[in-house]
Amino acid sequence: MKLQSKLTLFSAATKIIILLVLVMVLPSVVNRVALYSTDQRLLQKKEQVFDIIEERGIESFLSDGTDETYGSYNLLKEEFISMEPIDPSQINNRIENTLRKVENEVVEYRVLSLGFELHGATYLLEIGRSLDTIRETSSTLQKYALYFLFSVVLLTVFMDLAFIKVLLRPLTLILRKLQRIGHPDSFKPTPLPTNTSDFVFLNETINAMMGHVKEAFRKEKEFIGNVSHELLTPISILQNRLENLMADPAVPDTVLLKLVENQKTLHRLKSIIQALLLISRIENEQYLKNERVNLLALVQDVVDEISDRAELKNVTISVSLSQSPVLQKANYSLLFTMLFNVVNNAIKYNKEGGSIHISGVRKDTRYELCVSDTGTGIAEDQLPKIFSRFKRTHAPDGESHGLGLAIVQTVAKFHRIKLDVSSEPGKGTDFKLLFKEL
Amino acid sequence: MHVLIVEDEVSLANELMHFLTQEHYLCDWAFTGREASEKIAVNRYDFILLDLGLPDYEGLDLLRETRQLEHEPAIIVLTARGALEDRIEGLGMGADDYLPKPFSLLELQARMQAIVRRKFQVKSHVLEFRGIELDSMARRVTYQGNEITLTKKEFDLLHYMLLHRKRIMTRLQLTEHIWGNVLEDSYDSNYIDVHIKNLRKKLAEYIPNDWLETVRGVGYRLVA
Repeated sequence: MKLQSKLTLFSAATKIIILLVLVMVLPSVVNRVALYSTDQRLLQKKEQVFDIIEERGIESFLSDGTDETYGSYNLLKEEFISMEPIDPSQINNRIENTLRKVENEVVEYRVLSLGFELHGATYLLEIGRSLDTIRETSSTLQKYALYFLFSVVLLTVFMDLAFIKVLLRPLTLILRKLQRIGHPDSFKPTPLPTNTSDFVFLNETINAMMGHVKEAFRKEKEFIGNVSHELLTPISILQNRLENLMADPAVPDTVLLKLVENQKTLHRLKSIIQALLLISRIENEQYLKNERVNLLALVQDVVDEISDRAELKNVTISVSLSQSPVLQKANYSLLFTMLFNVVNNAIKYNKEGGSIHISGVRKDTRYELCVSDTGTGIAEDQLPKIFSRFKRTHAPDGESHGLGLAIVQTVAKFHRIKLDVSSEPGKGTDFKLLFKEL
Repeated sequence: MHVLIVEDEVSLANELMHFLTQEHYLCDWAFTGREASEKIAVNRYDFILLDLGLPDYEGLDLLRETRQLEHEPAIIVLTARGALEDRIEGLGMGADDYLPKPFSLLELQARMQAIVRRKFQVKSHVLEFRGIELDSMARRVTYQGNEITLTKKEFDLLHYMLLHRKRIMTRLQLTEHIWGNVLEDSYDSNYIDVHIKNLRKKLAEYIPNDWLETVRGVGYRLVA
């Protein structure tokens, strides 16, 4: 899951939890608040009643000396006030919820009961307020509070989403940059347009790290090149010394035979070094791609060069290329070496009297060249290994050094040619070269 | 022919001197660029074999100096550098040929002979062997006026063998001459044998088959 989604989800979840808690707690809180404010109101009313009594005497509520009870309701029975003389022993001051029957209707009231003495008589004052009214107010309050909270949560979640997105944009940029790295050489250490120091640090660290990787890569490539190059001089000396020795009439025949064997071994050493050097030079871009190469002509040249080897094994080579695509920026001799090795393999691993078909077809903007043989084929588990350097998976001779296909691969990569090998053991191998932008 | 070998590797220079002396060249040797520069100024060389990687001198500078000489010696650049830039620059600056190390001594001599014919106006480009005439310029082989049709590889093989007619040539040396510019996975001596066989077949119409001796386990030698 993306960091952005996680952060948004987290912020939304916490807000929803807070909302739920509020929704659960809110009714009781509102009720309490409502009751409290009702009680305050009742106490206030009580003061008002005492003010009236002080001003006008109790007679305004009760006729003097009578035992009559005074009671007054407002029209909707929301509130009432009552006063009656009582026995002093019955005084019980409190505020409580009680049911009262008013005009054949039972209504629940919040009632303040207060006993007081005036002129030697004891009275009970009761002031009530309908609980229904209180509840109505509190439920209205609750409803609006909920609406408000819900919209606040919604609004902040969207704001979070937008902010997180803006905040994490540098991270997206870094990820995209990392995804684009095919090879350390293609990495460009660009600065990141952000003032979030963590991301700046991350970007700088990645840039520095890739710098090290690039440097290590470059050194390794250079090393292979330098080593190969340094080995060429001693090989040169050995080769020429052997040639001079072999021309010496004083050398007996038995020694001569050994010298010939030495020459072969030295040749093998030389081929390995030269192959490594070639690969290294291509990888270090020491070759130019400044020639236009006609693919049909290239195939024909390779076939002409190699046909004698095919004849020796009674292998027939047929060529059918649709159109004649031209590579605009290429290196002919490298391409020749590449195709020569591919076709040479097709001959080497072919059966006596087999055949090789070189076909070419256009595929959209690309061109596919396929070298199919009727040879021994390559086992499926060996296929991924065939391009590895020094891996000789199925060489019938002991002389090959296993760098042929490594050269093929390097030249192909240099020319942005995609290679695809499919094979059926016993039936043959299809070696496909996919040329881009033709 | 007077040859100057400019090479800082003593062992390699020794082998070159040994070979060229046997082939009747008169050899001189310069170990450093400065030494070479002095020798070039004093002596008239026909050939300069120049290693570009000298310790004290930029090899290409030496090439430039040599080009300013009046008698224009032939120059073959020998280098292990082998980089493309060197190759282009070397030829552009007037080297007559370029031979990347390691090379076969036979190849060196073949290149020198080719330059001699081209550069010193040797009138005849024809090599003669038991009545067979090989014209290296026209790339034709004839026997008493009859043209013998050879493939490119057969011609190159015969030409190479005629240039080194006194030597035993190993299959590897012949292979390197024919396929030397293609870097491939393995060496197979069968391929050269096939071309030799075909060459024998084609020449058998004109001369007895004993012209080429097979030296068991080693290679081939021309028999005059």
